[in-house]
Amino acid sequence: MSDIGKVRLRIPSSIKAGDVVRVRSLIIHPMERIERDAQGKIIDKKYNYITKVTVTYLGKAVVSFDTTQSVSENPFFSFAFRATDPGPLKVLFTDTTGGRYEGTADIKFS
Amino acid sequence: MEKDHLKSRGAGGVMRRSVLGTLGVLGVAAATGTLAAPGLAAAQALGAQETVDAGLKRVFGGRAMKDGSGLIKLEIPLIAENGSVVPVSVEVSSPMTPTNYVKHIYIVADKNRIPIVTRASLAPEAGQAYVGANIRLGETGDVRAVVEQSDGTLLQVKREVKVTVGGCGG
Repeated sequence: MSDIGKVRLRIPSSIKAGDVVRVRSLIIHPMERIERDAQGKIIDKKYNYITKVTVTYLGKAVVSFDTTQSVSENPFFSFAFRATDPGPLKVLFTDTTGGRYEGTADIKFS
Repeated sequence: MEKDHLKSRGAGGVMRRSVLGTLGVLGVAAATGTLAAPGLAAAQALGAQETVDAGLKRVFGGRAMKDGSGLIKLEIPLIAENGSVVPVSVEVSSPMTPTNYVKHIYIVADKNRIPIVTRASLAPEAGQAYVGANIRLGETGDVRAVVEQSDGTLLQVKREVKVTVGGCGG
């Protein structure tokens, strides 16, 4: 449980200016699915799952995902962006309990 | 309920005006709230329990979809042994310039109780229209990728995935 919100970003080891870079982001999160009782009725409670993933690069939103409970537990999201300048790449996850989890990677050119 | 509220306070006599005022302010707030936040409402409704047709109609309003098999590459295993983790990735060939880019990529699982799995919104800065995610599949069925381009054109591709063990308990 305590691992909830751990974010990992995987970027290629060498990036050249102007490259289109593919990034994989992974978060530890339960992504609770809808539960039903014996009669098949939906149990009405507040489910904890991620609803929004936002990727910003150099302070600008590049990609965002709106997600539902049909997304797996401990989900990964991959995306691409064009690396124009060195700077931070941030991925922010927001869940239904108001939790905000952020992962940052520094984009450097080699 | 509002009426009861009014009546109980109104009987007191003193509070009536201020209560009316408060109600008025609340009313305005509620009205502007619904007007100002269609995006939020849409985001919350994204995960509704519905059939896939109802979901597509709600999200796309019955707009025509073209076959995008020439442009969209949907990568997903043909057989998913474990329905709770199915890697899927969508790549669209698009120039990704500010005038012509892919705005949204939707991943839709036809047989899921919540068919609209995710909506990715892209900016031209992405450079490449590519997204990937791990999704759940309840049972064997079609998985589609619906792409909305910046000019509003909708393209879709779909592929059947066989699921051995379903991943959506709900």
